[in-house]
Amino acid sequence: MNSNPLPAARRRLLPSFLFLCLLGHLGGAALLPASVVRVEIKDGKGQPVADAVASLVPLDRAPVIDVPAEPAVIVQDNEEFSPTVTVVVVGGKVVIPNRDKVQHHVYSLSPAKRFDIPLYKGEMKDPVVFDRPGIVALGCNIHDWMAAYVVVLATPHFAKSEAAGTAQIANLPPGRYRLEVWHQRITAPVVREVNVSSDPATQVIAVTLRELRQIRRAPETGGGAYR
Amino acid sequence: MKFLPQSFGAKLLALFMSAVGLTQFATWAFIREFNGTQARELINDELDRTTRNFARVTADRNTLLAAAAATAARDYAVKSLFAGDDDATLATALKSIRISSTADLVAALALDGKVRAATLPGPVPDAAFADLVRRAHASPDASAKGYGLFGGELHALVLAPVHAPDIIAWMVVGFRIDDAFARRLKEQTGIDLTFFDPAGRPLATTLAPAVARDLTALLPSLHEAASSEEAVLAGTTALVRIRPLAAGGARSGTLALQYSLDEKLVPAEIAQSRQLLVAVGGMIAAIFLSLAFARGVTRPIVELVGHTRRITRGDYSIRNRSYRTDELGRLSEAFDQMSLGLAERDRVRDLLDKNVSPEVAAQLLRDGATLGGEEREVTILFADLRGFTTLSENLPPRELLTLLNRYLDRMSAEIEAHGGVIDKFIGDAIMALFGAPVPQGDAARRAVAAALAMERALAKLNTELAAEGRPPLAIGVGVNTARVVAGNIGSQRRLNYSVIGDGVNVASRLQSLTRTAEYRTNVIVSAATLRAAQPTFNTRPLGTVAVKGRAEPVEIFAIDA
Ligand SMILES: [Cu+2]
Repeated sequence: MNSNPLPAARRRLLPSFLFLCLLGHLGGAALLPASVVRVEIKDGKGQPVADAVASLVPLDRAPVIDVPAEPAVIVQDNEEFSPTVTVVVVGGKVVIPNRDKVQHHVYSLSPAKRFDIPLYKGEMKDPVVFDRPGIVALGCNIHDWMAAYVVVLATPHFAKSEAAGTAQIANLPPGRYRLEVWHQRITAPVVREVNVSSDPATQVIAVTLRELRQIRRAPETGGGAYR
Repeated sequence: MKFLPQSFGAKLLALFMSAVGLTQFATWAFIREFNGTQARELINDELDRTTRNFARVTADRNTLLAAAAATAARDYAVKSLFAGDDDATLATALKSIRISSTADLVAALALDGKVRAATLPGPVPDAAFADLVRRAHASPDASAKGYGLFGGELHALVLAPVHAPDIIAWMVVGFRIDDAFARRLKEQTGIDLTFFDPAGRPLATTLAPAVARDLTALLPSLHEAASSEEAVLAGTTALVRIRPLAAGGARSGTLALQYSLDEKLVPAEIAQSRQLLVAVGGMIAAIFLSLAFARGVTRPIVELVGHTRRITRGDYSIRNRSYRTDELGRLSEAFDQMSLGLAERDRVRDLLDKNVSPEVAAQLLRDGATLGGEEREVTILFADLRGFTTLSENLPPRELLTLLNRYLDRMSAEIEAHGGVIDKFIGDAIMALFGAPVPQGDAARRAVAAALAMERALAKLNTELAAEGRPPLAIGVGVNTARVVAGNIGSQRRLNYSVIGDGVNVASRLQSLTRTAEYRTNVIVSAATLRAAQPTFNTRPLGTVAVKGRAEPVEIFAIDA
């Protein structure tokens, strides 16, 4: 942890961050020394990749998964899902409210979670519970271009990359982990073993992305654009 | 003689024919070559068009089918079937899609390319679409086109993704390429099409069975790199192009396009046969033209030949009535002028004959009229009409001249009869030469005989005159033989053949001596003449006389009849 090349500002913030974590997780490994892994994700051309999901699965122990009480939110606005990528732990809940004036028919045909919510407006009655790990692609049966992903993980250690392509995973007990990076356009998930105690805290991951192979939203050709 | 115009005509004919014939043949050959090249280019253009048309029609149809299939796959239930594992239900869904999209074939593939269901009677191996799946994975729009052979039938295929909203599966749609499809393509371009499987067996064609059989047999020998190749199919020559059926993927067969070269050349053949007709017409026209032209040239020439013959015979009356303005007209004109010239010369020759003795005239014509001379022995005869002065006083001039000419005519006749030449008439006197211009061995004897003959001729004339009641005439003749100068004497403009010298004066003097009464003779000759003449005459010596301008006296003799 001492060889950590974090910026000075972040290092100052670290003690208070850890304190908050301790408050939240008093049981399990809460008292063990914890550290941070910073994953820099770049594409084949060296450009930063946003909206990638980096996760660390502990190899020395069973992960301790704490399901949040509040569901994650994916709103439908302007005939699009927002955010495009949402990460939840196994058992995590998601609500998909409709903010548009038109109805949507949200569905998933992914093996990890198959469901569909026929035409509706406004709030959902019950949140969707994602009880199996995997990638769940959400679509709308009315609007073919609408697409979102719920990444269901069997580990609490994950982060989504920002515009700068950096995903920072904090509060890590020491030990060996399987680092996994996923992106909606990735040709194959990147897997790497990382020892949080001895390996550098910054892991640079190069990913190969393909074209976005989804149905594109055609430009509006006339009226009828209700929201 | 007849062969000349024929030969000229034949030459002209040959010239015309070869010129016209060569030109026409060269044109014919050039146009034939041009037509052939043109027809090939046109056919190749049409083959290009058909190749493009086939690709476009297939692509359009595939795109429409893919769109129809995609629409069908939008359905949530269909999507669910693609996402699930109920292959039996999925197969029935494909039937619905096949009907609604008007496709001939629909298949459902898992994302990894495993065939889950298809609207085909038997099971379909995964390998049938493996190439399409591989290419679709690599393509940005996640689709691929190709061909496939199912149940011995060729299909144009398109592989399209099933979105949910990511690609969760593949759907293959296709239409059958059969005889009907080939015929529809042929309707658009007029080009015959045949589709072969990779083993070279025909799958669909627009050709008649016999032609298709020949093409199938020929297929292995054709080249895909060639723009087209000539082939004889069921008796007609066609241009054939073969292309692989691949649509970017693995080869699924061969497409053969063809167009009958013979058919394309039909209009050209018609034009060529017409041109041949025109060529033959041109040749015939050339024959007539050349014959007419040859006749136009040879007729005046033949006429001229005839005229030449008549002129050779001395007939100068012919005039060429030619109104031509060309060289032949000028020849005619020149010929006429020559004819006129010859006539003029003949007239001159006639006059010459009358004015000079024929021998002199001949010599003049032979040697030309030149001044000059030679010394030779000549016998000169002088004859004079005695008492002419008295006669001229009693007779009117016309009658006098008639009488004189009558006398001169008789005397001249005797002289010429004896080989003498009248040198000149001097009034009523005659000067004649023997041995000149033509040398004579017996000139002196001839001269003496002529003198005696003149006497007798005069006696005969006197009998006639007496009968007419006219008084008789008398003559005196002197003959001398001497070496004199003979030649053309006179000026440049006017010449006379004559002799000059002492001997001439002696002859004249002897003639005048006949008036001497005591000599009692009309003919006096010199001793020189007598010597040369050999004494066969009755001679009577008359002694010697002096001659003016001569130192020696001349011994003279009378000749008695
Ligand atoms: Cu919608």
